[in-house]
Amino acid sequence: MEEARIGVFLADSGGQLSKILDFESITEFLRGIPGVTLVQRASEFWRGYGLKTIIEAVKSGKINRVVVAEGIPKIGEIAIAKSINSAGLDLSFVEVLDLKSHCAWPHRDSPREATEKAKAMLLAAIEKVRLSQPIEKAVFPAVKAVLVIGGGVAGMQAAEDLADMGFQVYLIEKEPFLGGLAARAVRFFPTDDCAVCIQSPTSDLKTVTHTSRKCIYRSGISEIPNLQILTNSRIIKLEGEPGNFKVTIEKKPRYVNDRCVACGLCATVCPVEVPDEYNAKLTTRKAIYMNMPLVYPPIYVIDGSACKFHECAKCVEVCPTNAIDLNQKAETIILNVGSIIVATGFKEFDPSVIKEYHYGEYPDVITHLELARMIDSFGPTGGKIIRPSDKKEAKRIVFIQCVGSRDKRWNPYCSGICCMISLKHAALIKEVHPDADITICYIDIRTTGREHEYYYEKAREMGIKFVKGRPTEILHDPATNTLIVDVEDEILKRFLELEADLVVLAAAMVPSDGSEELAKILGIELDKDGFFKEYNSKLRPTETKIRGILICGGATFPKDVPTASLHAHSAAIKAAKFLNEGKIVKDLKVAYVNEEYCGDCECCPVTCPYGAISLVPSGNGHFVARVSPLKCEGCGICVGTCPVGAIELNHLTSKQISAQIKALLSVNETPKPKVLAIYCSECGGTALDSAGMTMSYPANVRALKVPCTGVIRAQHILEAFKAGAQGVMIVGCKPEGCHYEAGSQMAKKKVELTKALLAAYGIEPDRLEMFNLIYIEGDKFAEAARMMSERIEKLGPLVIA
Amino acid sequence: MIILLMAGDFVRDGGGKSNSDFIKNVKEMLGGETITSCYQCGTCASSCPVAKTTERFNPRQLLRIALLGESDEILSGDAIWLCSSCYNCQERCPQKVEIAEVIFALRNMAIRAGKIPQLYIDFANGLMNEGRVVPVSKFVEKKRADYGLPPLKPTGVEQLRKILAATGFDKLISKKG
Amino acid sequence: MASYALFLGCTIPARQPQYEIAARKALAKLGIELIDLENMTCCAPPPVKSIDLETGLAISAYNICLAEESDLDILTLCVGCFESLAMANNLLKENQQLRKRINQILSNVGKEFKGTIEVKHYLGVLLNDVGVEKIRQNLVKPLSKLKVAAFSGCHLLRPSELLRFDDPERPRVFDTLIETLGAKSIPYKNKLRCCGGPLRGYADDIALAITRDKIVNAYNAGADCISTLCPFCFLTLDLGQMLIKTTYKEEYNLPIIHYAELLSLSLGVEPKELALDFHKVKLDKVLEKIG
Repeated sequence: MEEARIGVFLADSGGQLSKILDFESITEFLRGIPGVTLVQRASEFWRGYGLKTIIEAVKSGKINRVVVAEGIPKIGEIAIAKSINSAGLDLSFVEVLDLKSHCAWPHRDSPREATEKAKAMLLAAIEKVRLSQPIEKAVFPAVKAVLVIGGGVAGMQAAEDLADMGFQVYLIEKEPFLGGLAARAVRFFPTDDCAVCIQSPTSDLKTVTHTSRKCIYRSGISEIPNLQILTNSRIIKLEGEPGNFKVTIEKKPRYVNDRCVACGLCATVCPVEVPDEYNAKLTTRKAIYMNMPLVYPPIYVIDGSACKFHECAKCVEVCPTNAIDLNQKAETIILNVGSIIVATGFKEFDPSVIKEYHYGEYPDVITHLELARMIDSFGPTGGKIIRPSDKKEAKRIVFIQCVGSRDKRWNPYCSGICCMISLKHAALIKEVHPDADITICYIDIRTTGREHEYYYEKAREMGIKFVKGRPTEILHDPATNTLIVDVEDEILKRFLELEADLVVLAAAMVPSDGSEELAKILGIELDKDGFFKEYNSKLRPTETKIRGILICGGATFPKDVPTASLHAHSAAIKAAKFLNEGKIVKDLKVAYVNEEYCGDCECCPVTCPYGAISLVPSGNGHFVARVSPLKCEGCGICVGTCPVGAIELNHLTSKQISAQIKALLSVNETPKPKVLAIYCSECGGTALDSAGMTMSYPANVRALKVPCTGVIRAQHILEAFKAGAQGVMIVGCKPEGCHYEAGSQMAKKKVELTKALLAAYGIEPDRLEMFNLIYIEGDKFAEAARMMSERIEKLGPLVIA
Repeated sequence: MIILLMAGDFVRDGGGKSNSDFIKNVKEMLGGETITSCYQCGTCASSCPVAKTTERFNPRQLLRIALLGESDEILSGDAIWLCSSCYNCQERCPQKVEIAEVIFALRNMAIRAGKIPQLYIDFANGLMNEGRVVPVSKFVEKKRADYGLPPLKPTGVEQLRKILAATGFDKLISKKG
Repeated sequence: MASYALFLGCTIPARQPQYEIAARKALAKLGIELIDLENMTCCAPPPVKSIDLETGLAISAYNICLAEESDLDILTLCVGCFESLAMANNLLKENQQLRKRINQILSNVGKEFKGTIEVKHYLGVLLNDVGVEKIRQNLVKPLSKLKVAAFSGCHLLRPSELLRFDDPERPRVFDTLIETLGAKSIPYKNKLRCCGGPLRGYADDIALAITRDKIVNAYNAGADCISTLCPFCFLTLDLGQMLIKTTYKEEYNLPIIHYAELLSLSLGVEPKELALDFHKVKLDKVLEKIG
């Protein structure tokens, strides 16, 4: 590589910075640095004439490294980068720094020291680019196919969006029919329209004339081009990389093929009866069955755990189209997709663990799902609300809210939709049976969504009663076969014993079965309540820490259908954006392992938050770590983890860190002891930015930027002390908010370890401190900087024995 | 000014000042740490045998008054002494508030404020004199041989007194209410 | 022979010698050795905790230390003692900060809580260490005609997180042990509810109302007797019936009998050996049914 010819461009922001910083002195200093072939000064360099100067200097070959001290660095950096790139210079050779908010502004009161610091900052930038290596751009394939896991509301919406956009979509559903939980809900709040629609979702099929954009009797989901639906299927293995995943699907045998005309003869002759899960076990079904009324696929299915197969085979005999194949085997299907969307929804909590409510023991204590199936006129009771114990009509019904929700013993969160569901069900029952006696026992009524409060009003108008109080127990009077709900009406301050024919428990909504297993297969995280964890629900909704794997709908947290729909569309857009170009172009600002040095300690794959490091065999029974450049986010946590320093970041090598540390601590004309602040490019850096914009802090605090504080090793801190720092501050994101998931927590551990090391070396551990700050805590950074300066002054000069 | 309706027919009109430090103090007491988790669901009230029998005691209401900072009413009042420590409320509380322990903590605070029912003074004296809250009379002790029971081993009352001195228990009792 | 440090507490030696007599005889017959340690004190029940929780914990811990020093598990008869000691034992085993705090107090008497023993109630010992089989084999007079309203009292079951003795909502241990004796453990309203005893002396009227409820419920369910584990419950329900007679003018004549007494009788101990005259409500009908 050719020798470095460094150009330094100083923006003085309309002459404002030069009122504080001595630009002449700085320029002279710069000219004395070996390799600096050009020093220029102007008001701005990120646009206009200033930018042209840089480009010309690059094009003329006068310089092959660029350092710009810019007044609007964030936007400026992007603008400068775009132009320089087109001038042919690799971006790793460009460094933009902020002499305004990181130097002049906060150190207005000490211009001499500010000038000193400015020199040090420029020197550090120069040394960094001097050592830079070009960073390659790599191109990875992005297969324009998406796997959607889960055939409920969210899954179907997302699948349909993407298929419409031209992507190949595979929608897999573990049950034999689409629809998920919501399909059994009869009606959706707040509009009270039919839930059955989502068993066969809407589509913008161009070939069908539409009379309405909402109702979906014209479902043609099977006819949507590019959409392949696989029911009875689940993912069992994931290989490959974002943009190019290889997924292994296991498809359970249905035993009935598409010759089926859904006549139902098979079911009439089937001798086996089992509890009907779809109808919440209120009734039974045959081993060969179909959920009613509108399902996809409209093909019967045999429950392999109940069927007697060839011992019986009566269904085979009667099937008019010969559609039954009892010898069908499970299939393994391998798919190549670029992105995966998880839409596995949620399920109802089983309240039998709350023993005082006797669910499972008293047959007339039921959950919302069971009630919904009864309300459904297509359901097992033909729309009648009956008591499971004696099949008589239920006239007195008591609802109990928050069963297993907002409960620290079971699920501490509020499930969000159960108040609305109870109001909905109560109103539906009252509509058909105006003389029904309904009471809802609640802790709080939560009707927060659009149009939701109207539901509450309607319920009160219909004469539904509300008791503020959580029942302690449900009792049963065997003499009259009546349930008694023991509750305190706290508003009345009276104890009530509500007599009920039926008690409906508004059970919590919890993660679907198999979530843990699925998370493991995909390599994504669950949150503390067991739902799939969004990377950041405010800034990066539906994303996970693995690019290309998205999550949406109830699988991330219980939600109502409109919200699930929204979430699904959002995930579809993300997937489309990710795969649209058909390729992923990435600057390889990533980590790489020097395999010769790798000692096979196997720590880095565990600490990498993105699962980007795998172990590959290196012969003779050992393994070495290898970083996937596609998955790597360039944070450097692995660099900080590796005990032998075998891992380096392309965009910030250990040599570059050392050079910057030395540079920042040189230029030491005033006698004040120096503090080195190492800050992350995310929250930590923003705290410095905001501190610098409006506050002041001592100029003896010099700052070094790293991608994530997780990259820091004890060695860097010791180097800082050796290079002349009397104190070291580490400034990173909050532990729960680290932008690279785990970096600042690792840094904290590193700091504790280093404090012990310092003590062993006879150096006061108080010289080292970690701070976790965010943008709006600029004042806390200024305070911390002051505190550290004072502290090291009190401690006196550092003596390294 | 807070107007509290208690038991439907007793209206208290702006009596004592609300004490904003009260809850902080309760939380710092051993046993009182969980009081602020209470969200007034009322499960404790309907599971309480005493509340079902009398209007003078209701655990939910008791916690409510405490959470509002009405320290005078709680510490000088009758209610905290009416809990039978059956732990049914604590067992069923969905927020895992240790209600029975909180009531013990409130009693501890009342005693520190000098309000102690005579009954408890008697218990304490038994403890300090003999090492037992229910003293064993000499008569009963002598009869043991008649029943074929081995003689009672002496209690460790000496050591107990040292413990009581170490915790300051003895000083608590000298404050009469 | 399994050995345990017997923890008697206060109420039993002071007012319920019949409980102690029955328990010693029955457990001896079943091969349990009871060792009487020196220097035990009150267990620190609610009256002590009401004055100061820390003191209560320290006193409980002190008693546990005595057993630790003899390397014996504690066996209690009174469920109140069981609760105080078992709660303290589990709390101090699991909460390091609390343990440090209490050990500091205990250092004043040269003791240190180490968490090496278990606190057991004799029902637990009967179920787990002796076993229902052995009890059955030793039965001399099965109580097959007896309908028993089992009342374990609050402190055997709650707070279940710390006591971990039985399911607090569907307890089975006590009923199982009653049925092992051949008797029938009958369901009755509010079986697990407090007897009201702790309010005696402070609010006698409320206490008596709660007690009366319990008696009435057991009576209405057809019980021949109420079987207790707590000496305090016993006094409340037994003596209480005298008070119910004077206050409510109602007479139920429902005998109250400790499980240890039932156990002794079924294992063949003669009634005259058991000091049954301590019962205010006479046991004649029960003894008749036992035969």
